[in-house]
Formats: sequence, structure tokens, C-alpha cells
Amino acid sequence: MTNDDLIRRNFRSVCEAGDMQAYDELYKTLCSRLIHFSAAVVGSFHLAEEIVSDVFIMVWQKRSQLISIENPVVYLYICTRNLSYNTLQQQRKHQHTSLDNLDTDAIAISPDQEHNMISAEVAQKIEAAIRSLPARCQLIFRLVKQDGLKYKEVGELLEISPKTVDAQLAIAVKKVAEAIRLDMSAELAQSYFLRQ
Amino acid sequence: MMDDQIWNLLAKKVANELLPEEEKELARLLQQHPDASYTKEILTQGWKDKQKPFSPEEESIALEKHKRRLESAMAVEEVSTPSRRGNIRRMTIRIAGVAAALTMAFFMGRKWWSQPKMDENLQQLVTHKGSRSQVKLPDGTTVWLNAGSKLDYPKQFTGNQREVTLEGEAFFTVAKDARRPFTVRTRTFSIRVLGTEFNVRAYPQEDSAVTSLLTGLVEVVLDEKRNTVIRLKPNEKLSVPTAQLLEEDTVEVDHTIPVVIKLIKSPLTVMKDSVITETAWVENKLAFKRLPLEKVAVMLEQWFGVDIRFKNETKKQEYLTGVFQNESLEEVLKALELTGSFHFKTDSDGIIWIE
Repeated sequence: MTNDDLIRRNFRSVCEAGDMQAYDELYKTLCSRLIHFSAAVVGSFHLAEEIVSDVFIMVWQKRSQLISIENPVVYLYICTRNLSYNTLQQQRKHQHTSLDNLDTDAIAISPDQEHNMISAEVAQKIEAAIRSLPARCQLIFRLVKQDGLKYKEVGELLEISPKTVDAQLAIAVKKVAEAIRLDMSAELAQSYFLRQ
Repeated sequence: MMDDQIWNLLAKKVANELLPEEEKELARLLQQHPDASYTKEILTQGWKDKQKPFSPEEESIALEKHKRRLESAMAVEEVSTPSRRGNIRRMTIRIAGVAAALTMAFFMGRKWWSQPKMDENLQQLVTHKGSRSQVKLPDGTTVWLNAGSKLDYPKQFTGNQREVTLEGEAFFTVAKDARRPFTVRTRTFSIRVLGTEFNVRAYPQEDSAVTSLLTGLVEVVLDEKRNTVIRLKPNEKLSVPTAQLLEEDTVEVDHTIPVVIKLIKSPLTVMKDSVITETAWVENKLAFKRLPLEKVAVMLEQWFGVDIRFKNETKKQEYLTGVFQNESLEEVLKALELTGSFHFKTDSDGIIWIE
């Protein structure tokens, strides 16, 4: 059973049977991603944790009305997005909020050196390459790479077309590739390919 | 320079969006550009969060924190019910000896608020005469509070005890938790349960306090020091005279001599259509079976928040039976009056006189 199936199954158990155990699992599976996403919008992990907690409180309270939700993951991301916007608007009155004003520190990711055959130096270069991209592009890269969202799901969340998601992701991938290529010495490349 | 096509396909690969033919195309391109394989390798492996990565332990901690917030949020959850006022329906009721069955559902108006007391962790729910309310405690226990009652409960149950204090009448549906017994304290006795449905009536102005058990098992603790405990089975109730126990409290009695208290254990009063008079109020029903008018009047006072007095003392001993669900006070009194056992008048101050 994939992670996505598990989320769907747990979400259904919560809505149909008020299953508290499924609810706990659902929270544990999704809290990290949603908190990082929210933190990028509101600029604070502390606040983000409360926002995500509020989203899950709402899920428990309204669970019987949520049976018809087809995609729980997207639903929870959208709830988190909306509540994060609301919180931000309350805090900084009159200021327009948009996904171009993200705190990209909160959503930064980098290759895991423990599993990868790359040096800390290369990992840093890759990270820097991604950080040089526009905020929205960084978010798309993260949502796909780290959170495992599909093009269509990212599109729904960011209110853009799946095609745009695809194009933005290709830009990010190219950037990463360039960073690796520029850095990779002939020897390193050689040693890597010899191992294959 | 490499064709951008390889990056487009690689992006789809990262997103798990590659079609089968694109998969083949990517494999072909990677063969042509072996250095891109390294990039593919890095991009398709697991990455980690730079800030605040969550380990499984940290996920559990976050969950615990969230559950505490959920508990407090549920404690103040209010069940919205339309107002009782103005909800007058035609009566179909037969009185005296025959329980009237009413089927229309009805909702009551309720007024309640929680006030933080001196102790930060304590919440208080108060109902005035004529209003009832419902509250969900942090452990999931549901409490219906009848008119003119007061319930003290903590915002959060800590330790291995769940304890609330009641003055007045309440019906409890206690959430099962074998590790944390649930205790209801009243001035007369305490009730210890694990998970069950029961009613407690302990109005300070009444001469006895009553526990009625619907399901499960409860222990009525009369005296904690001497562990005087009476167990109740489903559909049993226990009446404990309040006066004697209070006396015992105020006057220093020798605890070695057992005090004889007249306890009455009896079955619950079941009426037609399995209405149980002891707990009918929870379903917004006003039910009484062969009850003297004196006590019916007290019920009506509490239910409607009015003042009922007797001009003719002998009427106090008229016995009445009835089940009401949506009727106004006027309608209830008129229906009862039809039995021919009494008349009533309302004076200019709104006091109802029975004669």
C-alpha cells in the first residue's frame, strides 16, 4: 500500500467511523509537510504548527461532513494554505499575501548525503542552485520532490495548470543538473561511472 | 549542450508522471549522455529538509501537542440547537394513568457559559431554571446538564483520575477509559465509574439525592473514609436522603458507630414507549409517573423557570402521570388541569397558583 493509499484509508476511517487511531496516523504522516508548507507562507514554524493543528481540529470536528472529499492530501494542503493566508492577513493588516512572498528557508531541501554518493560541497552547490530560483518555482520543486504531490495536485493547490507545474519543475531540474555538471570534476565523474 | 528534452523528461521522472513511451525515451537519452545519469541518480533519491526535519519521535511529540489542543477545543464545542420558544405545537395527550406519547422531535433553547474559576484549569458550566445544556468533556464524556445546575470540570484531565463536581442534575455518558476512573462528586455522595451511562440528581434544595444507572456499572461511594460503597446494576437507582448525611458532616459523630441511613434502591420507572422518567429530560421530555403534584410543580418550575405555589395544600397530594415533549408551560398545565384534579391561575407577578 502506498503512502497515498494509506492517507486515503485513514482519512476515510476518520470521517466514517471517527477512528481516533487513524486520525493520529494521518496527523503523523502529514504534519511535517504541512508545517513546512505553512511556515513558508507565515514565516514561522511555531505559528505553522498551530495552524496545522487547527486544520486537524477542524477535520475532527467536521469529519462527518468530509466523507465526500476525494483527495484528502490536496484538501489538507488547501486548508493549510487558506488558514495560513488568513493568519498572515490578520498579522500584517492590508498587506497583500501571495505565494511569491514565501519564506523559502522553511521549504529548502537538499540531497541526503547519507544515502548519496556526493560530497557536502556538491550538496551545498545543488541547494544554492535551487535557492537561486524564484520562490514559486522552489515551492513547486519541493511539493513534487519532497511531498510527492502530482502535477494536478500542485496545480490545484497553487491555482495554476499542470502544464505550468511541469514547466517550472523542468526549470528546477535543469538548474540542479547544471550545478552538478559545473562542479563535477572529470575524476569524480569517472569514478562514479566506473562503479555502475 | 544537452537537449532540454532530457531535463523535461527527468522532471517528469522526479514527479512520477512519465508515460511508458517517455520512460523509454529517457533511458535512450541517458545512454547518450552518461553524465546526466548522475544527476538523475541524485534527483530520484531521498532528500531531506534543511530546517526542522521531523524524526518519528518529533512527529509523536507534535501529535501529543496537537491532541492537547484538540481536547481543549472539543471541551468548548457547543451543540447548536434552535430555540425552544415559539415552538408550540398542537397537543395530543391523554393524562392521568395513561402516558401520552409524542413523536415530534423538538429542540430546546439553551443558555450556558463556561467561566474560568480561581483555579486556571477549572471550567464551570451553569444552567439557569428553564434551560438545559450539553457539554463534551476533554476525555470525550458527554454531559447533559438539567435546569438550575452547576458542573465543575477541569479543562484537561491530568493524572490517572477524571473528576467532576455536580450540584443539581446531570446525565453522563462516560467515555471508556479503564486506566482512569471517572468520579462525580456531589454533596451527598460520589459516583465512581469506568465507562457507562447514568443520571445523577442532587439538587441541594431536595431531600434526597438519586443516582440512576442505564448501562454499565457504577459504585456509589457514600463515605470515602470508611469506603461505604453501594454497587448499582443497570436500570437501578439509589436514593440517599441528603439531610442525614449533611447532619453527619456538620455534627462531629463518632465514626466507630455506623450511622443508619435509609437508602432506597429501586428499579427505574419505565413508562409506555420505554420512556424512563429518571432520564427523560435528556431527550427533552418532561415525564413523571404517579408523582404527587407537589413534586410535579417543582419539576415544572425547573423546566420552565417559573414560580408555582399552592393555595390549596391538599392538592399537593394529587398524583399525576404524563409525558410532554414540546408543550409550553400553559399547554402542560391546561392538559394536567383536564384531569380535574386542580385549577391554576397566573397572577400579575407571573406566579402560578394551584387551587
